[in-house]
Amino acid sequence: MKYFKNVLLITLLAVSSWGCNKDLLVTVPNDRISKEVFWKTDQDAIGATNFVYNYLENVQRWTNWDAMSEIGHISKSTLAESYLEKGAQDATSGVFSSVWNTNYTGIQAANIFLDNVDRVVTTNPALISRLKGEVRVLRANFYIQLAFLWGDVPLLTTETTLEASRKLTRTPVSQVWDFISKELTEAAALLPNSHATADKGRVTKGAALALKARAMLFAGRYTDAANAAKEVMDLKVYSLYPSYATLFTYAAENNIEVIFDKQYVKSLYRNSLFLTMCPNSVFPASTLNIVPTKQAIDIYQMTNGKEITDPTSGFDPYDPYKNRDPRLKYNFIVLGSVLTNGKIYDSRPFSGTGDAVGSAEIATSTGFNVNKYLIKEDASDNGNGGLNTIYLRYAEVLLTYAEAKIEANQIDASVLDAVNLIRKRADVNMPVYVDITSQAELRKIVRDERLRELSFEGLHYFDIRRWKTAELVVPGMLLGMTYTDKNGALQMVTLPGFVKTFNKNRDYLWPLPQREVELNPNLLPQNPGW
Amino acid sequence: MKKKLKGIAPEKTFPGATKILLKMKLTLCVILISFLGAMASESYSQTTKLSLDLKNAKVKDALGAIENQSEFFFLYSEKLIDVNREVNIEVQRSAIEKILDKIFEGTNVNYTIKGRQIVLATPEANNEAGMSSVSQQQKKVTGKVTDSSSASLPGVSVLVKGTTTGVITDSNGNYSLSNVPENATLQFSFVGMKTQEIAVAGKTDINITLDEETVGIEEVVAIGYSTQKKVSLTSSVAAISGKKLAERTVTNIQQTLQGQLPGLTVIDLGAAPGRTNYTMRVRGITTLGNNNPLVIVDGIEQSLDNLNPIDIESVSVLKDASSTAIYGSRAANGVILITTKRAKSGKLSVSYNGYYALQKSNNNPTHMDTEDYMNLQNIAFINSTGAPKYTEDYIKEYVAGTKTDPLKYPLPNTWYQTVFHVAPQVSHSLSVSGGNETIKAVLSLRNQNQDGIIPNSSSKINEMRLNVDYQVSRKITLATNFNYRNQKVIAPVNEGIIYNRMLQLSQFTVPKYPDGTYGISTDGHNPLLYAENAGTANRNVDYLTGDIKGEWEILKGLKFSVQLAGRISLTAEKNFTNSYLIMDYFDKTKVRKSQPVNSLTEVRNDEREFTMNNLLNYTKDIGAHSVNILAGYSQIQNTYRGLNAYRQNFYNNDIQSINQGAFDATKSNGGNDSEWGLRSFFGRLNYAYQDRYLLEANARYDGSSRFTGDNQYSFFPSFSAGWRISQENFWSELKSTVNELKLRASQGSTGNQAVGLYSYIASFSQSEYNFGGVSVPGYGQTTMANKNLTWETTYQTDLGLDAQFLNNRISFSMDYYNKRTEGILLTLPVPGTLGLNPSPQNAGRVDNKGWEFLLGTQNSFGDFGFNGNINLNINDNMVVDLAGTGPYITTNTSQQETRFITQVGYPINSYWGYITDGYFQTDEEVANYPNIRSQIKPGDVKFIDLNGDKMISPLDMTYLGRSFPKYTFSSSLNFTYKNFALTALIQGASGYYARVGGALAEMGIWGSFTSKYVTNNYWTPENRNSRLPRPLKSDNRNINFADRDRINGAYLRLKNIQLSYKIPSSLTKRIRIEQMSIFVATTNLLTFSDLNELEVDPESVGRTQDYPQTSLTSFGLNINF
Repeated sequence: MKYFKNVLLITLLAVSSWGCNKDLLVTVPNDRISKEVFWKTDQDAIGATNFVYNYLENVQRWTNWDAMSEIGHISKSTLAESYLEKGAQDATSGVFSSVWNTNYTGIQAANIFLDNVDRVVTTNPALISRLKGEVRVLRANFYIQLAFLWGDVPLLTTETTLEASRKLTRTPVSQVWDFISKELTEAAALLPNSHATADKGRVTKGAALALKARAMLFAGRYTDAANAAKEVMDLKVYSLYPSYATLFTYAAENNIEVIFDKQYVKSLYRNSLFLTMCPNSVFPASTLNIVPTKQAIDIYQMTNGKEITDPTSGFDPYDPYKNRDPRLKYNFIVLGSVLTNGKIYDSRPFSGTGDAVGSAEIATSTGFNVNKYLIKEDASDNGNGGLNTIYLRYAEVLLTYAEAKIEANQIDASVLDAVNLIRKRADVNMPVYVDITSQAELRKIVRDERLRELSFEGLHYFDIRRWKTAELVVPGMLLGMTYTDKNGALQMVTLPGFVKTFNKNRDYLWPLPQREVELNPNLLPQNPGW
Repeated sequence: MKKKLKGIAPEKTFPGATKILLKMKLTLCVILISFLGAMASESYSQTTKLSLDLKNAKVKDALGAIENQSEFFFLYSEKLIDVNREVNIEVQRSAIEKILDKIFEGTNVNYTIKGRQIVLATPEANNEAGMSSVSQQQKKVTGKVTDSSSASLPGVSVLVKGTTTGVITDSNGNYSLSNVPENATLQFSFVGMKTQEIAVAGKTDINITLDEETVGIEEVVAIGYSTQKKVSLTSSVAAISGKKLAERTVTNIQQTLQGQLPGLTVIDLGAAPGRTNYTMRVRGITTLGNNNPLVIVDGIEQSLDNLNPIDIESVSVLKDASSTAIYGSRAANGVILITTKRAKSGKLSVSYNGYYALQKSNNNPTHMDTEDYMNLQNIAFINSTGAPKYTEDYIKEYVAGTKTDPLKYPLPNTWYQTVFHVAPQVSHSLSVSGGNETIKAVLSLRNQNQDGIIPNSSSKINEMRLNVDYQVSRKITLATNFNYRNQKVIAPVNEGIIYNRMLQLSQFTVPKYPDGTYGISTDGHNPLLYAENAGTANRNVDYLTGDIKGEWEILKGLKFSVQLAGRISLTAEKNFTNSYLIMDYFDKTKVRKSQPVNSLTEVRNDEREFTMNNLLNYTKDIGAHSVNILAGYSQIQNTYRGLNAYRQNFYNNDIQSINQGAFDATKSNGGNDSEWGLRSFFGRLNYAYQDRYLLEANARYDGSSRFTGDNQYSFFPSFSAGWRISQENFWSELKSTVNELKLRASQGSTGNQAVGLYSYIASFSQSEYNFGGVSVPGYGQTTMANKNLTWETTYQTDLGLDAQFLNNRISFSMDYYNKRTEGILLTLPVPGTLGLNPSPQNAGRVDNKGWEFLLGTQNSFGDFGFNGNINLNINDNMVVDLAGTGPYITTNTSQQETRFITQVGYPINSYWGYITDGYFQTDEEVANYPNIRSQIKPGDVKFIDLNGDKMISPLDMTYLGRSFPKYTFSSSLNFTYKNFALTALIQGASGYYARVGGALAEMGIWGSFTSKYVTNNYWTPENRNSRLPRPLKSDNRNINFADRDRINGAYLRLKNIQLSYKIPSSLTKRIRIEQMSIFVATTNLLTFSDLNELEVDPESVGRTQDYPQTSLTSFGLNINF
């Protein structure tokens, strides 16, 4: 019997497992959503739209732009951006592939949305149409950077397959600009002037038009740019926020000047702006990356409206920040500024503070720090910022309008009106310009005003490249603050080891990322000089 | 096989889970039974009941019937016992004694039952002895049988040769045999031991030591789902016994295998406690993705990590297609088979193995002297900025200060001295083994404590293993294995930053001031602070495996077996980041560094895998033909669940419970689930004619959940043949010189299914964004799907030769193989324009061709013994095709990082970079040359413009050699003299380049560790023929990855040396110890390598920013009771 029991036991064990689990080889994941079950409801369409917003530039990328121009400097010399600053990069640089990949990833997400969204059975066609508008604007936004930085790039308007991606060719840049212009115009028609509170931060009609104004300015299509800017102005939705000093604070989020921003929430969708910007003495061992240079500071006029180089301006090199355009101190931390911790900023090399130039590799190397977006509320939990980063605001539209009109040689009173509006902001209150009609003079006025108003908002790097002034303003030794030494003599902070270069025959266009060329030789030839 | 189509079947999940539970319960049940069984058991004769119904049968036949029905066997002399007498017996379920009483009723035959052996004798035996020549002297012979470790051997059969007279040794290994003729020969035999014959020659006391039968060509090796005599192998299998492995003191089993087996390359990457880090390759790099061999422990796929080396009975490495094809879709990278120890019947044996070891870092680069370093920095600053950083006076003051006031004038870098320390490691293993004819069990316990060589780093392992074998009935056996292991690992949280900051951004810092304050570098770092005070990552792993295997001998030669196994791994992690505030030592009001927020991440992972193997095996010998057929079915089901949670702002750093963190928006959690399955049918046919001509065929049909549609199943066949030339008649004259010679050949295919799960599903993942201050979900595709994905297939041809010379004194074995992997599973880099992460694809072809040689010898000269072997592997790896794509070059954000290329015509992952031609020596030379950058000066590296386009760009990069060894070799040498044994393992690799990146290559360009070898070794106008270029500050133009950064990777090292001493048993017996030996051993004692100059271990990789390789010096003790 025992014998049989044992046989039985083993047989049972075998049979109990044999043949069961017929679906052993069919595993369906439940920690992700398969494409087949998606695209059914309005919620799916909204979710897929939200996904595209993720590919808007992150804070780090965005703040690095101006730091790579002449007005800024990246302290960490090991960062790939630092090589670009020096002109020491080659086509393998991670900066190029990162910008390229992020934009094309956003484009693919947008294309997948646009190809599939009509599969949604909706009772709310208006919603779907609005979402299409949002996605098309985001896609156009991705193309603006690609077209501007690389010139001819592949223009993809539907979902790309792997096979196709290996054979793509470059579309002439003018056609890319055409596409951007058409998309933004059409999308604007699909979008509302504003959204309900719960949807603040979504693309609006104003965002589409303002982006078009920027794109056309970048493309050198000045009449189109001026017209688009005028359309934004005529919407009568936006006006300048009265306080420049608090424009970049939590209190002013979603204010009347903001046209488009990337929205953050503390803890949930956080940024690290504070860590990127704050002076060494405020948070030791911060990940400080970015400092302004002498050029960023000197552009600010005296409160009397005169340049500091003007002998009659009243500029006192021994007290250089007295009676200056207030935006200087709103935007930058300079000797004597009050820090978020209440202490006084003293970056003089001998000051003995954490900010003394040369005291640490992460202390400011120029004697200045950026103040824009650096706010007290973020100091305690400094990696956890929730401040929205503003990508488009009304002041830019006004300046774009003015610049486009000047370049298109349609100079009229509205040009100076636009500039003066900005200078007359309540807490800026700089003297207005009157009776200037020379194109050259106006050009300088608008360009300088643009820098004073918009510095470290991710635009100046692009501006000097479209103005073709980069070759003039970038090269040279890095310059910093001027201070009075112990003997009463004026000293200027310099970084002799850090020489910026700009090769006009090469650097106005970025190289196609080396890997893209390796994977798809159809993209060749490489941009000149690389 | 019908395709079942996917869709969602949620209701299916529950029944499956119940089934799994049921299986688990059964497994646990069996484990419990085996426990109880091992504790109380009866002897075979008591438990065995027999039924006989014989009319007029001869005694001989009756005895035969008993032997057939049971496992009893009889020893008797026909001369003494009349076995042709006829008897009538009719019994039902009777004990053996009753039956024997009946059979020999009325005769003078008496019997003795010892286990399964029954000795029949008559009283006359004492007088007649059953030998024809009565004139011969007859004696009683007694003695003791021991094994090579002096442990007594019970159950050894001692037979007078040519007769059936014999006894079996008792539980102490003693035997006593009466009436032995003086000129007789005694034959001692025991399973697993070499049979020995000793001439009595008048002696009355014969003690003998039996040697284990694991050496030489008679060895039995584990092969897929079975074992095979090594002589009959037609495929390429390398094997090693657990005993041999146990000779080395190591932390993990991978280190043990290093350099021991031809065809297996193990690169020890150094490992923090509890985090093994190594590369294992069988016959080179087969594929572009996962190259890890399949590891099977006792029939079940498991990980090699943390397996107790003491538990291992044998390790086999299956290399060619013939041996591995039986594992089908998982076998392309080779298979490592491990069997654990099983008990033998006989007296309970208890053994203890323990060691105490000290570990020290093997990566200890020396920093430059302070003065040399400051001078170098000055030159670098002058070259870059035009002005020196330090004045001459300051240097003098500083250098003097380092001696008189080191708190104010700290040395440039002392982290290798202050962060690393010598750390102990202790291990105790106790094993109890024994049993009787029905139940045998071995229980082993291990406790291992290893401290890391950095603070807050340790691993503790506690484990038990119970392997039990049951003889349920004559035809049915059961075997159960049960292994539970708990491992607790502690490491500093964010451990990587410690090693990074030891090299970077922490120059001139006091590690700790006298009052315990940490110094903070100007860049805000202190690696010692990070190690001691940044918080800890605690990991607790409970690992449980249990399996039951039943075997039923249906007919003679036909066996059916079922194995069910469960494996559960539960991981719990608690990673706590401390908050802290570091004040300035000299100005206590000043904050030097602060981490204001503490936080805790908790992780729970739960992985379960269930395996079933069903095997049918048939063996039959018909005359000179022998046939073995194996058919099998196997399935594996794996489920994985993960959960994690995060909170921050705890009351203090000691309150580490997730519930105590801030209950606000900062809290978060996450998780993931996955499952996969594998279903397989397989078979093997072996045929041998006269043990001379050997043929084998294997096949496996595998289905995997990783693929879909028609791609789900795949077929992997293989064939092999062998010819034992030495068995041929014509060889007889050569037999004394070459006693064994065999030629082998095999060909076949194996697969690789190592791709991510669900690769064929275009799945949407969730992302977060927010509008109006409220979080909103986003859904989008991030990874491309590939419905066409299928196995990659490796075709392999192997030609081999095995030979033994001079009666096994010298052995030689060689193999040539040609491995071609097609449809390589490759996660191809895809153009950025695709906007999706790549999924694996079947693309391309890689060839591996190679040779393996093994030469061994064993000798003894009186008290001296020597055995040793040398093995050499040559592997040539080449990418043959990439399906029209490629080259694939690693992308680096920084130009000084090492670049690898995978491209047709080169080995996988070859180096890729610039070629250089020394340094510019004059301004004129600079002016007439295309430069990589503006402002090039004499002393800068001259990169070659390879494509002649008058500029230096990535297009000038080229192939810079292999990164994986082409040659690996090792030699193990064992010397014995009386009670002493000296074992050495020498191991090395060559035919490749190493590249040490990061700080050690950068000569102080950034504020980083600067090696002593840089001293006066750099270009200055006075020192133009230097090894290194001119120093620069914050400028990496000269360290773009190029040929000059390569270092010949070849090394040869004394990996392990061990001296052991066996304490004479005459001494140990007094304290009731059967045998005791002590040893002292050390690893990595001596190394020859070009990397010695950098004071970096030759097996280290990359930027050397990992837990370093260590050397272990150990003192150990082995005791058998």
